[in-house]
Amino acid sequence: MDSLQVLVADDEPVSRTVVGAMLKKAGFVVHYAHDGEQAWQRLNGPNPPSLALLDWEMPGLQGPEVVERIRGSQSHAPTYLILLTSRDTSADIVSGLRAGADDYVTKPANEDELIARVNVGARVVRLQLALADRVRSLEEALANVKALQTLLPMCAYCKSIRNDQNYWQKVETYFHQHSGVSFSHSYCPSCYERYVLPELEKLESRDQGRGR
Amino acid sequence: MTTRPPLDPAVVDSLRQLTPPGEPDVLAEILSVFLTEVPRRVDRLKSAFRDRDAAEVQRAAHSLKGSSGNIGADGMFEVCRQIDERAKAGDLGIDALLDGLDREYRNVEAEIRRILQNG
Repeated sequence: MDSLQVLVADDEPVSRTVVGAMLKKAGFVVHYAHDGEQAWQRLNGPNPPSLALLDWEMPGLQGPEVVERIRGSQSHAPTYLILLTSRDTSADIVSGLRAGADDYVTKPANEDELIARVNVGARVVRLQLALADRVRSLEEALANVKALQTLLPMCAYCKSIRNDQNYWQKVETYFHQHSGVSFSHSYCPSCYERYVLPELEKLESRDQGRGR
Repeated sequence: MTTRPPLDPAVVDSLRQLTPPGEPDVLAEILSVFLTEVPRRVDRLKSAFRDRDAAEVQRAAHSLKGSSGNIGADGMFEVCRQIDERAKAGDLGIDALLDGLDREYRNVEAEIRRILQNG
């Protein structure tokens, strides 16, 4: 499994270093932001980390404000957001979660608790990625099924099908391309009587003619 | 009164164990960051105190509280917590606490230098 990227945003350098070291030890790839603005830029930019630990009290943009911005931006890939805070009254926790944070960790962070909570986040992130993948492949399959449901122009004589590019294709080729169905060729009993048997008899009588 | 060590040995030990095999010592890195950053923030706190800027005193004290809490500097943490609390209430009658902060920092600094030297 790939290591997930985690952003640690804290203006307090000792805490930032300690939290970063805990995450690195647990196998995460760690990025740092020195304040809320930098965290927002990083999370809103290209290839953003899928998990972020945001300190509550930072100069400029505070942790909960960064959370609100990210949740308010439509184009944003889902990011698992954990607030780091020394505020542990239930009112603070509620307001942090209401802003859109997924979880919170009190400071100074206990290593086992921090990593356990980040691992919960990693599980959610991986699940979301797997679901997004699944949805994508289902949408592709659905698009193919839709193409099959529409009215297909078919030649009345040779049974070829006209595709979207105005090109006549054999039935087998058309269906194989649009649904992944493969055909094996065989014959039904009535066609055996009608076509195969006379052919075989013709061959047989020719062989007998040669043999004489 | 029992004298407690400037740094909680259990916290120092847990920081020491953050070093992944073959990597540079994480404890030394953290303690060096502390020695570089904390005096700046103490200065900022004092100059805000001279300017009677309670909001800035509170911010600096809060940040110092975080720094000291992270390395197990419990005595210094407690002083910062009290300054943080007072300043939040707009109370800048913190002369004694500032002296306490200086004293605690000196102890912590000496202990850090001892650890950095002895490994």
